[in-house]
Amino acid sequence: MHRIAFAFALLVLGISPAVALAADGPGPTEQPVHFGRQILPILSDHCFQCHGPDARQRQADLRLDDEAKAKQSRDAAAIVPGNSQASEVYRRMVAVDLDERMPPPDANRPLTPEQVALVKRWIDEGAAWSGHWAFEKLTRPALPRPETFTEQVDSPIDAFLFARLAREGLTPSQAAPRETLIRRLSLDLIGLPPTLAETEAFVSDGSPDAYQRLVDRLLASPAFGERMAWDWLDAARYADSNGYQGDGERTMYPWRDWVVQAFNHNLPYDQFTIWQLAGDLLPDATEEQRLATGFCRNHMINGEGGRIPEENRVDYVMDMTETMGTVWLGLTFNCCRCHDHKFDPVAQRDYYSLFAFFNQTPVDGGGGNPQTPPVIELPTEEQQSRRPQLTAAIDAAANDLDAFELTFFPRGEGQAADLSEKAAALPDAIKAALKLPARQRNRGQLEQLEKQWEKDSPEYLSHIQRLRGAIDARDALNRSIARVMVMADQPQPRPTFILEKGLYDKPRDEVTAAVPARLPPMPSGAPANRLGLAQWLVSPDNPLTARVAVNRLWQQFFGIGLVKTPEDFGVQGERPLHPELLDWLAAEFVDSRWDVKRLCRLIVTSAGYRQSSAVGAALAERDPQNRLLARGPRFRMPSWMIRDQALAAAGLLVSRIGGVPVNPYQPGDLWADITFDRKHFQQDHGEALYRRSLYTFWRRIVAPSVFFDSASRQICTVKHLRTNSPLHALTTLNDVTYVEAARALAQRVLLANPTDAKERITAIVRLVLARRPTAEEAALLAASIERLKHEFAADPAAAAKFLAVGESLRDPSLDPIEHAAYTALASAVLNLDEALNKE
Amino acid sequence: MSPLVEHQLAINRREFFSHGASAIGTAALASLLTQDGFAAGSPVGGLTGLPHFAPKAKRVIYLFQNGGPTHVELFDFKPKLKEMHGQPVPDAYFAGKRFSTMTGNPQGKVMLAPVEPFSQHGTSGAWVSSFLPHTAAIADELCFVKSMHSDAVNHAPAISFFLSGAQLPGRPTMGAWLTYGLGSETQDLPGFVVMTSVSKGTTCGQIFYDFYWSSGFLPSRFQGVKFRGNGEPVLYLTDPDGFSRTMRRGLLDDLTKLNELKLREFGDPEIATRIAQYEMAYRMQTSVPELTDFSQEPQHVLDLYGPDVKQQGTYAYNCLMARRLIERGVRFVQLMHAGWDQHGSITTELYNQCRDTDQPSAALVLDLKQRGLLDDTLVIWGGEFGRTPFLQGNINDRPKWGRDHHPYAFTMWMAGGGVKPGISYGASDDLAMNVAEQPVHVHDFQATVLHLLGIDHQRLTYRFQGRDFRLTDVHGNVVREILA
Repeated sequence: MHRIAFAFALLVLGISPAVALAADGPGPTEQPVHFGRQILPILSDHCFQCHGPDARQRQADLRLDDEAKAKQSRDAAAIVPGNSQASEVYRRMVAVDLDERMPPPDANRPLTPEQVALVKRWIDEGAAWSGHWAFEKLTRPALPRPETFTEQVDSPIDAFLFARLAREGLTPSQAAPRETLIRRLSLDLIGLPPTLAETEAFVSDGSPDAYQRLVDRLLASPAFGERMAWDWLDAARYADSNGYQGDGERTMYPWRDWVVQAFNHNLPYDQFTIWQLAGDLLPDATEEQRLATGFCRNHMINGEGGRIPEENRVDYVMDMTETMGTVWLGLTFNCCRCHDHKFDPVAQRDYYSLFAFFNQTPVDGGGGNPQTPPVIELPTEEQQSRRPQLTAAIDAAANDLDAFELTFFPRGEGQAADLSEKAAALPDAIKAALKLPARQRNRGQLEQLEKQWEKDSPEYLSHIQRLRGAIDARDALNRSIARVMVMADQPQPRPTFILEKGLYDKPRDEVTAAVPARLPPMPSGAPANRLGLAQWLVSPDNPLTARVAVNRLWQQFFGIGLVKTPEDFGVQGERPLHPELLDWLAAEFVDSRWDVKRLCRLIVTSAGYRQSSAVGAALAERDPQNRLLARGPRFRMPSWMIRDQALAAAGLLVSRIGGVPVNPYQPGDLWADITFDRKHFQQDHGEALYRRSLYTFWRRIVAPSVFFDSASRQICTVKHLRTNSPLHALTTLNDVTYVEAARALAQRVLLANPTDAKERITAIVRLVLARRPTAEEAALLAASIERLKHEFAADPAAAAKFLAVGESLRDPSLDPIEHAAYTALASAVLNLDEALNKE
Repeated sequence: MSPLVEHQLAINRREFFSHGASAIGTAALASLLTQDGFAAGSPVGGLTGLPHFAPKAKRVIYLFQNGGPTHVELFDFKPKLKEMHGQPVPDAYFAGKRFSTMTGNPQGKVMLAPVEPFSQHGTSGAWVSSFLPHTAAIADELCFVKSMHSDAVNHAPAISFFLSGAQLPGRPTMGAWLTYGLGSETQDLPGFVVMTSVSKGTTCGQIFYDFYWSSGFLPSRFQGVKFRGNGEPVLYLTDPDGFSRTMRRGLLDDLTKLNELKLREFGDPEIATRIAQYEMAYRMQTSVPELTDFSQEPQHVLDLYGPDVKQQGTYAYNCLMARRLIERGVRFVQLMHAGWDQHGSITTELYNQCRDTDQPSAALVLDLKQRGLLDDTLVIWGGEFGRTPFLQGNINDRPKWGRDHHPYAFTMWMAGGGVKPGISYGASDDLAMNVAEQPVHVHDFQATVLHLLGIDHQRLTYRFQGRDFRLTDVHGNVVREILA
């Protein structure tokens, strides 16, 4: 990797000169000390163990976690604002007598001179306290002046990361090799491995901006939106069925496709927010803006009989409220259904005031209709064009039937058929049908007529059947048209009450739509509806939205957010390890007008991101989770990405974007097991088996089995889950998906490299890992192929069976023994730890 | 055992001797495997120096009752509650106490007498209500701890506290600590297995969070492996058509060697875990079908566990599975059953809850005993807290009577594994409200469990981010009075 000068990086990244100046100009030493970012972490790490919230551990009855207590005048106040010399805290920190010194030397938590100086300066500046960091207004911290590792600092991100590493006595890692980088970057930005040609081109590109151009290419790829959509779908609890026992199918996929497009078009995050929460309330809302509000209605729908509709409706509104809270505010609200939050500044009243924003739709909660209005119908062009034809066919069939009945039921001029003598003895229901013109008869009536004459008059029967067939065809088309549940407010506002214990039938005080009292107010002029709420979320005064969004994106690239608890920025959540970096990124995000692609670029072009992810023994012990980022990210990919990687490497992947969800392979009938036989899994065939994982039909009560550690899609999920279980190994070794991918991968390589075993092995490894095998690996794999060939040669029938796994056809020109052996080898490569990891 | 299964087991062992030993050789893997092969019963992994002293129990079955079983209805008989039925809670009992915010301040709440009668059972004379006839019948096998108390008032934090010693997720759970410290006695199954069930028809919406069986900061191979409650307990267990076990073994050896190269180069400890998990997957392909095949269980044993025993996903099925798992060397079986959260269903759903769990729990103890396994198997029955002796709801609306969360006094029982049978230890006050005698805190309970397994809870530690962590944090005293 060619190094990019720091200033040049700033230029490339388009960071405003004013910011760049800050890096060269006055450093943080000239700015007032920030309590939350600079002092609290010191006190927390070094003092709170004995002088913190835990009363049982507290020494000398001194607590430093509470402003009043810390400043309380005692024999000697711990902190005297403006006077460090009179402050016991400072006196003890610099005490020469080791018996006096704090923290006590045997606590093994010594302060650095810089930390002591910072505390002194903070006290002398007035010891300004502040509240919980995440609720404080977002201000852009100055960039630390790079003093160490300046050679490696490539971006403002690095300035923060490496300054911290220097304080911790750690050193950044070398840049990862190019093959590793292109694979890491491709997986991160488009969720797919690089092709051989792409790897080749990047590795041999000597130009200084090769990496930048790679980033640009990937950000411009249509697959970028598909990659980004997955995490958003988890957050939005998107699924293709309702959930609960009935679990009826729904058709929200046009909303899913909209998300993909929104990322691809780089819709700014503020618009992305406003459209999804309140697109319907925008002036002259477009269909697309209304479609976006499907976000709110991705919640589960309860179709259990005996449920009270209002109870359901309240559940849905709670879900919308809580999802908004987690996704934008990083706060977990559900406790407030029943009581004030114990830790966070959200009272039960605040909860129901937020609830009031979402409480205005005409949804009544009755039944389990997966297309409960308000909905928008989104026929495809083909569906739209077929509609007039089908209507015309119904009209024609009805006219013919009417004409036929004129002779079939002789009667007086202007009379209906039921008055014909021939109809006199017929049952009343039949007569009722005959009274109507054919066009107005319903399907049931047509069936009755059919039954009546199925033996006696084949000719009449055929006329009726033709009409019924035409109606069925139209109905089938209508059923196939996607209807997306969207938001709309009813004209008459629905009053909202605090619900005691969250019970729908225990309304107490009435509340009006409002944002939590302890967060900044709504922007002036913002309407008191969802649109106003959305505008408030993305207003510059909102302290949470940008921090929360940036943190989630960081998690996507580094595996763990700067705040480890992306769902909880409250007091119980983790304090960020790099608070200034988080704030800087958040401020940058807002100032860039919420440019998501730019934020991605900012992160992936940092030297911190590009480091090698090799773990030294010391580092493994010191920072096992890689929170300090003295090495690059390395973690098991999400299971959907592992599947997409296998399909892509195999050349099986069908890259068509969007559309109706598909049902690829799944063992047995897992749906029947859990639904007591009410739903049956019907596997699709052909290209549906090879679409990106994003398009897999997501049955909410039993998620697709090929995915592991995935979000349930039942409620909003923003935190990634990563476990390491033997069950995952069984999936990637034995699932048809992976065995077939291995077969196709082998075929691809065998066809491209007709004879040379070494070339073939190299190609398989490169298609999956981007890099070439080492000599040792190549030797191992070569021996493996010889053994496998020998084994399959001894049992050709087994080879045939093994090659028959999966529905795609294999090239019969390939020798089955050889093909089987390479399939097994490819399966091993797809199961390498490195293949399962983003490295 | 079917001849086929037997044959496959034999292949596993043989292949392991021939390939496994040479394949798995790096320092990082050494701790996973012992030097002396895989003879049945010999521990695999574990720390040197452990156990610290001779253990009474070799394995644990934890019957975790999620939701907070009501000690007031089930075990903690207080005549005074009946006298005070409908009367306000006396101030002195709750002064300075924090309750769930559903209750808030208990002032003005009224006492609720247990809804079913109690009687004494066995020669030990233990009090058990008629809700649990099967448990009552084995009272002489059980050690009731009636003075449990916890720090947490809400489910997830309280469950996490019991299982990991901390209310917030992120610490290793008991099963992870034990398999880390003691290793496993089987190569064929995970050392720590989790199964979950929910009572039929419960309105309780509790979720089984995976941090209830997390390995926290311990290497992730120590996390519990959860078996599915429907369909195959483990999916994708069968090799692809045409791919023989011999081929699988050979390919897995290649995979292991390649991963070892990576481990040597990259040092990521997750790679070592990956290697171990692939090996485990291989062995589970043989061991799991055999494990879940109940066809050789005698009818009288099946009858013991009750009518649901053959229905996968039920508590009864899981109890029998628990026995089969520990018979096969699994160190820690964590069986979690949700639905004990009777905020408004003491007179309704509690009956179903007891019906579903009472007989299988007792059956498990009896079954272990008749097989001679109870002596060195510790069975634990208990939830994350108890329930308030006062009413949640309206005294005039009996069908909706409920009790709120109550961490200040509640009951658990243990059996086997070095615990004194037929005793009741500790006591709550005359209203079952607070601990009155011999309090047992959650950390004390944890210290005691570790002690029974031969571990000094203060010495089983793991250094993480500069600090030595342990299950009991900086607390915990072994409750010596209940040791046999």
